[in-house]
Amino acid sequence: MTPLHGVPDLRSPDHEVLAGSREATGPREAQCAPGKPAIATNGLSKRYRKVSALTDCTVNVPEGRIAALIGPNGAGKTTLLRLLAGLAVPTAGEMTVNGSTPRQDRAFLADIGFLAQEIPLYRRMSAADHIRVGAHLNPRWDGASVRERLTALNIPLDRAVAKLSGGQRAQVALALILAKQPRLLLLDEPVAALDPLARRNFLGVLADAVAATGLTVVMSSHLVADLERVCDHLVLLASSRVQLCGDIEEVLAEHQILVGPRKDITAIQRSHSVIQVIRTPRQITLLVRGNAPIADPAFQASEVSLEELVLAYLGQDASPALPP
Amino acid sequence: MTWLVWRQHRAQFYVGAALLAALAVLIVITGVQVADQYHAAQAACAAGHGCRQLGGLFLGSHVVGFLVISTLGAPVLVGLFLGAPLLAAEYETGTTQFAWMQSVTRKRWLAVKVGWMLLAAAVWGGVISVLVTWWSGPDNAQQLDAFKPGRFDLMGTVPVAYALFAMALGIAAGALLRRVLPAIAVTLAGFIAARAVITLLLRPHYMSAVTVFYKVTGAGYTPPASYWQVAQGVIGPNGQILPQPNGVDYLDGIPLAYLPGSCAAPARGAATLPASCSQALAHFRGFLTYQPASRYWAFQGIETGIFLALAAALIAATAFVVLRRDA
Repeated sequence: MTPLHGVPDLRSPDHEVLAGSREATGPREAQCAPGKPAIATNGLSKRYRKVSALTDCTVNVPEGRIAALIGPNGAGKTTLLRLLAGLAVPTAGEMTVNGSTPRQDRAFLADIGFLAQEIPLYRRMSAADHIRVGAHLNPRWDGASVRERLTALNIPLDRAVAKLSGGQRAQVALALILAKQPRLLLLDEPVAALDPLARRNFLGVLADAVAATGLTVVMSSHLVADLERVCDHLVLLASSRVQLCGDIEEVLAEHQILVGPRKDITAIQRSHSVIQVIRTPRQITLLVRGNAPIADPAFQASEVSLEELVLAYLGQDASPALPP
Repeated sequence: MTWLVWRQHRAQFYVGAALLAALAVLIVITGVQVADQYHAAQAACAAGHGCRQLGGLFLGSHVVGFLVISTLGAPVLVGLFLGAPLLAAEYETGTTQFAWMQSVTRKRWLAVKVGWMLLAAAVWGGVISVLVTWWSGPDNAQQLDAFKPGRFDLMGTVPVAYALFAMALGIAAGALLRRVLPAIAVTLAGFIAARAVITLLLRPHYMSAVTVFYKVTGAGYTPPASYWQVAQGVIGPNGQILPQPNGVDYLDGIPLAYLPGSCAAPARGAATLPASCSQALAHFRGFLTYQPASRYWAFQGIETGIFLALAAALIAATAFVVLRRDA
């Protein structure tokens, strides 16, 4: 796992993640969010030979949401997105995407857009060529919107995409995928390779498109700050399992940070499930799930940010061993 | 889909078309000269001005003659430059994930791509074969070699089948290996191996060869039209096939060790052989085992069928791999 930007290493001795709290995550998976789901999976698993890429994944994302798919490298984000897009076949479990099981047919494919991490485009073809390809291969196709978007961004339409910058390529790919007018857009780390300005542009275009069309988006990324700006739904994957899933505001409201003197915390553990414990010589900081007030007046409760929450859960994943 | 295939491969198409056009111009110009030369020599022969000239006639230029022979390697080119990268390049650069996320099923994507490539291979093999077959007509009539390995493979329907096989092999290798360079290497090696094995081990047995026996002291036997000689030699009095007289003294193709002393060196220059030697020679028979010219098209058909079947199997394997395996 790569350290997240500018954040202390959670595995340093001062940081402790409560082993055993993991079981508490089990039942929460199912109660993701109400509403008509664009995506619903049940016990989805994918194994590549002996390696398990995704285990027992149960998530749902209601229609019209922009969902953040967060997890460390190797958590199964890409695998999940590829399964949803129908590019890979699960070894176990079932899923419903736009109301049907992913399959090879024109109607299913027309409703879904997938942008892979490496932003695959035909290197020797220009954006204009890609627009023509799209027009030939899709029942709905808004080529004019791509021209407009790219012209507005000063991206040449007639230059081979190999000669465009990474940010421009990502914009071309995003414009192309939006031209397809999908109902569900799956983006695998679309901004990972982009500089902050290009990232902002990309996410801005994406947010506008969502506002204009009401499509559902699932977007994976390491960059919590970016996701926080545009996303309203959270799916947190770690160790190829779903750790958290739901509306971001609701999820945040369900957690709190408690700061108090270094003392025994078994009383708190009885009423709340403790996700993360950070001890300093004088005080103790807890991230707990459950928004019931704390009886002990020595502890001060405060709201948790998305970044803190994500780091706490990812840190939990990094805990070296579970008691038998 | 067809537009995408055209857009992706139009450069190769132009190169291929230019090569075929250049070959056609060269072949037609020299082919007309060759035919004129041959007919003139034939007419001279018929008029009684000596047919020996016909035997020594050299038809065509060295360069074009070499070019015609080198079309032996033409079919594999489509496998190397079009077939192997067809899927491998898409896997390698990840563009499968672009193509497969358009509203087109993998099956249709594959069928259209492979379909056009097979058509291109057939046209490539077919045009070359027509040109070479036409150009070689007089040469074959004179040399009677149309059936021989190395010539047989240049003409008729087999070049089309070879090109289709090379294309299918390239596509299948690309689908399995998902890397362009290894796929090209496997295509080249696989094509050469398949052609060598089938030419050397299978082709002689498509039909059992005909054997003709003749007197060793006579003029031997030459079949009337283009034939393929499988074996030739001498059978001794006990029915054993004699070794070829390589590097030892021989008489009428028989090593002297198998003959009585009267056949030895002094006798060889003599106008008439000693009677004992002639009697001994009468117990030997020459033989020629060959595939007669009448079987030429049957062999073309069988070989074409074999390579078409191999190509079909490779395409089926490709479809299985591409449609079953994750992107």
